[in-house]
Amino acid sequence: MTRLAAALAGFLFLASMSFWAPPFWISIGTQALIFAIFAMSIDLLLGYCGLPSFGHAAFYGAGAFACAYFALHQVSGLFPLLGLGCFVAGAIAIPIGALSLRARGVYFLMLTLAFGMMLWGYAQQSPRSFLGGSDGLIGVERPPLDAIAWLDRSLWDLAGVDVRLPAARHFFNTVLLVAAAVFALLSLLVASPFGRTLDGIRENEHRMLALGTPTYRYQLAAFAVAAALAGVAGALATLFNGFANPGELYWTNSGLVLIAAIVGGTRSLLGPAVGAFLVLVVQDALSSLSDRWPLVLGALFIGFVLLLPGGLSSLARTATSVIPRR
Amino acid sequence: MRIRAERLGVRFDAVQALHGVNLDVSSGERRAVIGPNGAGKTTLFNAITGELRPSEGKVWLDSLDVSGLPAWRRARMGLARTFQRSTLFSDLSAAENLAQAVRARERSQWRFWPGRERALRAEVAERLELAGLADRAHRPARTLSHGEQRALEIEIALTARARALMLDEPMAGLSGAERAAAVVRLRSLPPEVTLLVVEHDLDAVFTLAERVTVLDQGLVIADGSGAEVREDARVQEVYLGAR
Amino acid sequence: MTLNGLAFGSLLLLLAAGLSVIFGLMDVLNLAHGSFYMFGAYSALVVLQVTGSFWLALVLAPLLLALIGAAMEVLFFRRLYRRGHLLQVLLTFGFSLVFVDLVRWRFGPQTQHFPTPTGLAGVIPLAGFEFPVYRAFVIGAAVVVGAALLLAWRRLPVGAILRAGVADKEMVGLLGIDLNLVFTLTFAFGAALAGLAGVVAGPYLATYPGMDENVLILALVVVVIGGLGSVEGAVVGALLVGLANTFGAFYRQDLAVAIVFAAMAVVLLVRPRGLFGLHA
Repeated sequence: MTRLAAALAGFLFLASMSFWAPPFWISIGTQALIFAIFAMSIDLLLGYCGLPSFGHAAFYGAGAFACAYFALHQVSGLFPLLGLGCFVAGAIAIPIGALSLRARGVYFLMLTLAFGMMLWGYAQQSPRSFLGGSDGLIGVERPPLDAIAWLDRSLWDLAGVDVRLPAARHFFNTVLLVAAAVFALLSLLVASPFGRTLDGIRENEHRMLALGTPTYRYQLAAFAVAAALAGVAGALATLFNGFANPGELYWTNSGLVLIAAIVGGTRSLLGPAVGAFLVLVVQDALSSLSDRWPLVLGALFIGFVLLLPGGLSSLARTATSVIPRR
Repeated sequence: MRIRAERLGVRFDAVQALHGVNLDVSSGERRAVIGPNGAGKTTLFNAITGELRPSEGKVWLDSLDVSGLPAWRRARMGLARTFQRSTLFSDLSAAENLAQAVRARERSQWRFWPGRERALRAEVAERLELAGLADRAHRPARTLSHGEQRALEIEIALTARARALMLDEPMAGLSGAERAAAVVRLRSLPPEVTLLVVEHDLDAVFTLAERVTVLDQGLVIADGSGAEVREDARVQEVYLGAR
Repeated sequence: MTLNGLAFGSLLLLLAAGLSVIFGLMDVLNLAHGSFYMFGAYSALVVLQVTGSFWLALVLAPLLLALIGAAMEVLFFRRLYRRGHLLQVLLTFGFSLVFVDLVRWRFGPQTQHFPTPTGLAGVIPLAGFEFPVYRAFVIGAAVVVGAALLLAWRRLPVGAILRAGVADKEMVGLLGIDLNLVFTLTFAFGAALAGLAGVVAGPYLATYPGMDENVLILALVVVVIGGLGSVEGAVVGALLVGLANTFGAFYRQDLAVAIVFAAMAVVLLVRPRGLFGLHA
């Protein structure tokens, strides 16, 4: 319950930002929200399935490129583009997951890394006319966000304020809505019988098999869903940046999202989202203040491991542990 | 469900754990498998349930050759088991442990909407009561005492409403009272359910079982009623000093 | 070109051997191993600038890394053994960020000039083309180190202890061997090897703050292909990866990486424990 309250509070705070926050923070906020979607998607695998995927950036990138490609080929509209990003990422995930899930633990990690890097390699080497090779695809325009603009205007009208927000803020709100939707979707999923089954597989796969559950299928489904959501994040990133770049598929990106999830506290959805914010804000904001930001970020991670290994959400859990849980 | 093993052999590198084992448990029979440590009893179980692939021989469930089927498929055919070492969902509560078992049985795991699962909760509550875990329902399974964990392990297997139940040393480490409770629980099994039990506790064995199969060093050395087996010279020799 | 592949493979061997044993024995996934490599290169540079002697650098850099490695093991890794790989990933990733940035701070982001040591400069004429003497040195160095490692691994008591530890840590502890010491020394040794690789790589590959990334990932691939905890595996794996990478790079640079990873995927799918691995 407190998690829901925290999420709601966060949402309201972010929703208000489009009104008062300066452009720099809107920009950072948009990127942080995109990264948060990415982080929540990997929490499904890491926290709920117990599967450490080290190639998740490949699906993010797949979504990014799908969005870019179709946007440059006459597909317009937010939902079609996001949908295509989601679909392509999910589709690519199926064969990759099918193969990778034959292994567990470290070997699963290495297989996902391998496939991720293979996709990166392909993106780098792709024919210029298709995916742009090492330069990627550029010149993507943001689709008109009429629905969101209307929504924004109407809400402020209700408050009796006539407000015209610049397009960037509409986009921020769009990403915020998508992030909220992803959070809601994943929350429902992990609480459903399907989600509980994933819990069981994570806790004791051997036992689940002995109970007659074909665990492989559930994990593959979760893998595909997580990839599809990462694809949504990638598509949003393309719309934000105006381009898709092969570097987005590199293993260090996969590592970074894992780190964000771990820092925030896995198996909580909200934790990785917050972790994503933290990592991104430190990276972006700090990098404009000082050249030494990797040092700070690295020291932060080290500090986390030594002092708060359960991530931020464990901090929240101890804070609320006085409330009896059912 | 009828369980049949035909010339089953299992080799681990240089060690032959099972050697030409034949086993035929008819539907609804109560059979015990006994033998000294290292005789291959758990290996036999694992070959039957599918955890292990035998190097020779076949396994039949009813009239189906399941030798090539993975464990989960055999479980779905109506085979449930417990493990020598309690194999629970350690960080989940006892209630959730049983819920997993119910969901697996009901095949209701592909639902994506968090429903109330009322029927499930009712059954879980009932089973917690039967297993004597009602007051421990919401604590993580790993915090339960050994006896409670064994009771949970058995209850999980019972939840499957299997046509054949295989229990690997269900009484291991249980106190006298806990054993009695377990025997009561097992006695409530419907008569058409096949029961195959590996046990060291010979009192429980002779109470529950109609027939007893004795293994030693991967071979079947005796097979008959409790009385017959008790009189068998080879069995006595193997157990001399072990009782 | 084959020889180039061998040269690169030799480098990978130095990196991967240590990583493999550390992983196999201590079950530690050390993403900072690449930064040990980087430190090796940079400290060698410093020694070179101060003393002008490459050979001195060859000795001192690994020693420095051994110290750093030992310190890291005692201060940080000790706490994490039971905690699982995730926290190790986080910790070592953090360290690699810190280390790389420290180097960037002190030396700047540009690629450093690492002079080829006199005596190892020049080329050898070979069957119609010229092969740099230095690269022959790299191969030679790796052969020597590799042979020594294999010998120690298979014939010497220390190797036996490590092999036993990889197979069953607890038993070794029960045999009265001080595991803590073994761990610290193993880690230090692995770090030293990485440092040595860095020194050797100096004149051969580029020396810059980000040099750890690409090499680390290839070293991981070598370890996985060869099998965790196996020195023979590291040797074979390094050869394969070195050759694959070089041949692949000849055709298309980034495809090389993809090829290497494809090879790893194939190996893992066919033989999940790696070519020589023990763990399942």
